Amino acid sequence: MSEKILERIASAGLNGIKKAELKKTFGKNCDEILQNLINTEQIFVEKKGVAYFVWTRNNYILHLSQNDPQFKIVLNMVMGKSHSMAKVKEHANNLEDTVSKISQQNVASSESDFKAEFDRRLTESSTSIGWAPFLDIRKKICESKKISPENFYSMASDLVERHREKYEVSSGGQEGIIMRGLVHGYVRNV
Amino acid sequence: MYAYQLEGNPYPSSPTPTEKDARILGGKRHKEAKSAILECIKELFNKVGGRDSNNGDFRVITLIQDVGSGKTHLALHIKNLQSRHNTVCTFLDLSTISPKTMPSLYNAIIKGFENEFFVQLRTKLVEYVCNRAEQGDNSAKKALDYSFVNKLSGMTIKQKAEEIISGKSSVSIENLKKFLVQWFNYYESNLIRNIITNSFNTVTNLEELLGMMAAISKLTHRFLSKIVLYEIDEFDGNQDSIEFVKGIINAHLPASVVLLISTPSGYDEIQGKSPSVFDRLEKANYKIDLAGSNSQEELLEIVLEYIKHNDKKGKFTQKTQDELAEKIQVLYDEFPEFRSVRSIINILYHAMEKSAELDLEKIDEIAIDETIKHTYPGLKVRGSIMSVPISDFISIRRTCDDDSTGMQLKRAVANLVNFAHEMGNIGKLEKQNQPLDVIYQDPYGAKIGIAVVINGNHTKNFEEISNISKSSALVDKLVILTNSNLPSSESTIIVNVDKSKIVDLLYFNHKYTDHKIAASDNEKAQMLARTVNII
Repeated sequence: MSEKILERIASAGLNGIKKAELKKTFGKNCDEILQNLINTEQIFVEKKGVAYFVWTRNNYILHLSQNDPQFKIVLNMVMGKSHSMAKVKEHANNLEDTVSKISQQNVASSESDFKAEFDRRLTESSTSIGWAPFLDIRKKICESKKISPENFYSMASDLVERHREKYEVSSGGQEGIIMRGLVHGYVRNV
Repeated sequence: MYAYQLEGNPYPSSPTPTEKDARILGGKRHKEAKSAILECIKELFNKVGGRDSNNGDFRVITLIQDVGSGKTHLALHIKNLQSRHNTVCTFLDLSTISPKTMPSLYNAIIKGFENEFFVQLRTKLVEYVCNRAEQGDNSAKKALDYSFVNKLSGMTIKQKAEEIISGKSSVSIENLKKFLVQWFNYYESNLIRNIITNSFNTVTNLEELLGMMAAISKLTHRFLSKIVLYEIDEFDGNQDSIEFVKGIINAHLPASVVLLISTPSGYDEIQGKSPSVFDRLEKANYKIDLAGSNSQEELLEIVLEYIKHNDKKGKFTQKTQDELAEKIQVLYDEFPEFRSVRSIINILYHAMEKSAELDLEKIDEIAIDETIKHTYPGLKVRGSIMSVPISDFISIRRTCDDDSTGMQLKRAVANLVNFAHEMGNIGKLEKQNQPLDVIYQDPYGAKIGIAVVINGNHTKNFEEISNISKSSALVDKLVILTNSNLPSSESTIIVNVDKSKIVDLLYFNHKYTDHKIAASDNEKAQMLARTVNII
């Protein structure tokens, strides 16, 4: 019943519907339902002349914005401010985007820095067959980049996994990356 | 009957290769390595052809690669090559000799040759003595124990030699010794005597060992016109092994190739233990590079080669090869455990057995799933929350790079939200409002919007995410699920969806739409919902 009444009020649009008409359609018992809807601010009632008109919340706001100059002025002021707020928000979003892109580039650049350094040290440390102990590379990179061994192996593991076609690792050695539960202490470029 | 209508399992089952297993050699890199070794042999063979060999006719080849990459397989394959007419080969696994004394090393070298080699060499040596005897050399006649009685009975020297070759008669050891010292050095004499009498003396020190090895090489070249390939496997930092190999390299065995097989860690140990041997290895004539021997492409070629070799009925068509290749690719990508020749062969051996047991026409997801369950019982799909069975994982993973994946994921996320709603974890669902895929209320009434942005092209992802971010004003919290690696911002939570998560979501979706979410799945699905910020 409540939903049907709401639907009927909404269908009346900006002009609203006479309360008497609702009573005619839904019977005198609808009074209680209307009061509940008023209490929950789902509908609004206003006396125009001798009749009481009923609107839904959204339609009532639109009705006021068109017929009440005072309301119109206040609404415009609020909307203007909210428009400015929207502009500030949009600007902030753009800034956020830029910062995010820059941080993205920084991550990518730090990865590519590590790769370049890793490749250089790998070439320096490898024997004629191309294999080099991770230990030697780790010592050099940790010293030059001022990073911890844990950090080095975390980055080295990522690098080797991401570029599987470029690096090969081999088991054994004192330290290295862990694969299949084994220390892989040697690496080479393929 | 095995898959592809094979009569037997084409894959070897032993943890290390046997000579029988090594008959098949697959993989581009392994075949290239084989060619390089054969090229070295050919080059030396041509160099020493038609003349006496000397100590300049010596080559060292190193083969350094990780365990399980097929080094021993390659060495055994070359040893057994039917087409290798210009070489005799002995294979010596240093890991099987302990303690590595000179007698045990010599014994292993002798046993490493095929018996046929000694039969041929013995025949040639007896014929040599026979020829000398026929030319009037009395000491040669005595060596053959060719007596006056033999002559009176009409037996020729040649017939006597033939009897010795066939084992009906024997030589006079003392006289043979006297004959040989006239024409051969000490070690050659000893070796010839050992071969003719089928009884090998032992050696007591490195000098004797190297002398006997040089004698084997020299006599093989002189009497069989072949060069000797010494394959020495599992060479590492063991001091006895290092001394042995150092001696061989320094001895410059005539008409010989030494193939040294090691791992990078073994090579590193040698560097630490003996810089001089390491230096010699660094200057090896040939360094066989098996780089990429464990690459996906190489493993695939090897795996397929075994079936192709045994496919007498032509059932292993290109289509079935491609299907098997797809499954192997997923195994390779997702399980580091299977990224070596040895481990992938092991899986396929068991999968093939399973195919026979289940009477399967081909190795399918079920065979692989069953195999992994039995042979790798603890193995789980990395990062999977839904405990996706490996068979489903392989099947979903194969298709999850399709263009339709994005749409499927949107449906999966919508269903996961429905599921969370049904479980009472979230409030009411709201009407979808583009560009957001799902909108709902959390238990506190806050409006949450979720958008799924999955594209192969990351630039496209960035554009879409940038547009969607503008919708953050529509909701209290915006969550974007994407395969691009982006940080979250204050207004937007970015959830990185990797392949495991995609498979989890798609697997959940299949189960949900088929009404197959069991009570035991509830907790997992809720956990999945948590990881994508739905709960």
